[in-house]
Amino acid sequence: MSQPVEKTGKRKGDGQDNRYRLRLFLADNEPNSRLARQNLDRFCETYLKDSYEVEVVDVFQDFRSAIEYRVLVTPALMLVEPRGEQMLFGNLSDTGKLLKTLGIKGARV
Amino acid sequence: MKKPVSTTKGVPATQELSKVKTYITGLDEVLRGGLPEGRTTLVSGGPGCGKSILGLEFVYRGALNGEPGVFITFEESAAAVRNNARTLGWDLEKLEKEGRIFLMEGRISPRAILSGDFDLMGLMAIIEGQAKAMGARRVVLDSLDMILRLYNNFAREREELYSIYEWLYGKCLTSLITVKIIGESGVSTQYSFLEFMSDCVILLDQRMLDQVATRRLRVVKYRGSGFGRNEYPCAITGDGFHLIPLSGMTLNTAALGRKFSTGYPAMDKILGGGFSYGSSIIISGTTGTGKTTLACSTMLAACQRGERVLYINFEESEQAMLENMLSPGIDLRPMVKAGLFRIIPGMPESMGAEEHLLRFMLIIDEFKPNHLVVDAISSTRRMGSTQAAYEYLVRLGGSCKEKGISCFYINQTESSHDMYDISGMGVSSFTDAIILLRFFDTGDEVRRQLLVLKSRGTKHSSRYYEMTITDQGFKLKPFRIVPGTFRSGPSEEKGGAL
Repeated sequence: MSQPVEKTGKRKGDGQDNRYRLRLFLADNEPNSRLARQNLDRFCETYLKDSYEVEVVDVFQDFRSAIEYRVLVTPALMLVEPRGEQMLFGNLSDTGKLLKTLGIKGARV
Repeated sequence: MKKPVSTTKGVPATQELSKVKTYITGLDEVLRGGLPEGRTTLVSGGPGCGKSILGLEFVYRGALNGEPGVFITFEESAAAVRNNARTLGWDLEKLEKEGRIFLMEGRISPRAILSGDFDLMGLMAIIEGQAKAMGARRVVLDSLDMILRLYNNFAREREELYSIYEWLYGKCLTSLITVKIIGESGVSTQYSFLEFMSDCVILLDQRMLDQVATRRLRVVKYRGSGFGRNEYPCAITGDGFHLIPLSGMTLNTAALGRKFSTGYPAMDKILGGGFSYGSSIIISGTTGTGKTTLACSTMLAACQRGERVLYINFEESEQAMLENMLSPGIDLRPMVKAGLFRIIPGMPESMGAEEHLLRFMLIIDEFKPNHLVVDAISSTRRMGSTQAAYEYLVRLGGSCKEKGISCFYINQTESSHDMYDISGMGVSSFTDAIILLRFFDTGDEVRRQLLVLKSRGTKHSSRYYEMTITDQGFKLKPFRIVPGTFRSGPSEEKGGAL
């Protein structure tokens, strides 16, 4: 699916060590979607530093990606690396869940 | 799509509600034209009552009629849906390839992890994008309750449902949502608010009647439209969902058709000229009195005139029946071969009355018989309750009458004296003729008696006749008892011919 994907949220660290590749599915500017984006930004800055890459997909802009990855629930975060497309639904307000899912140990919430 | 969403709720009072045909047999009739266009219809019911099939058929028949549709299944896998469709002879894959149906599995992986609140905007984006891309106006969300369970919070579930309804309404999509209801009352306690939100509510129900499963459909509500308010028997047979329209059923309104011969001049004479096309005839008697012989010889004569006969046999196999009829010299085999005589064997227990009825009605529509024989109506009781069997007979008879098909109901009775029993499950009121067969015990032998108990609109004989079954059909002569003695005169076997 090579639809025009909104990549405003995409960032890359300086190093080549992008151990965390994430894909965030949002629905326009819905409250939960806005919150998820904020939560993810904060999370990445705090815990992942320069070793991550985020691709943001707006399901209303790119419904075919939503079909492809079966994203009926938004916001949805797909952990492409390292968890092999594990899905995490919700506005990511539960940081502990995110840490656990990404396998980051020892961090303080 | 011209759809003024001017009023806050419900239908603009001045405007006739436009409808979308379901193309499902009998359902559009009950819905007075179809589902409300651009609105949401709720289909609820317990497990296994046919909600998914009803929804799928709405999309499938729409697609066949040039109205593409979107079907999202939240419980079954897409492969299972395609398989179910295949058993009904529907080729979904073909329609999917042609872009007339979009089928998507909406199950959420049990591995999914939740973190914070969420909504179903992804679902809406998919519906919107896909509907626009393929020009679809029909949307089915099958078992929507499954995905809502993710919330694990009823207030939140309810809120999300409201927004889905609102959103669908805004997009003017004609949608059908199915949810499971648990509980016997038929009203879902948890999702009952959905009934208030929906413009149309259809309740499906499967219940056991004397150990036989029967399906029912009821339209609970239809905002801005009239609808059939009864509970309608329905069945999933052959190629999909069928409703049996029974409202239009009228009894004995059609005038009887012209007469036809039984093939026996003596019998025709007793009947006052034969039977009538389009009439209902009961042949009643205890076992072995010659009911099947009488019916089959009359039907053989019909086939010889080139007429078609459908014989519904609940009693014995086709082979056994054809062979048994050879003994009185009635050879139906050439007629079977010529396609004029068709035997449908059926175990009454194997299906509910509705399924039987539908199956036979479909065969009748296809085969277009001139005559129908039901052997024996007494065994239809085993389809469920006596009430179900009675309704079954009334509907079958009514439908045949409308089509001008004559119906022979063979009725095996327990005793030859109980008149209610003879007339057969109380259906005598809609029958036009009743033939009674019985044994008469003369003291040293048993002889068969035939009596025309009733023959509407004819000057039929009202005396007993002696019926002798020979190897060339049967013979009739007036039944006489030698005066002065209780003993009768010599029977046909010893004496001469009629």
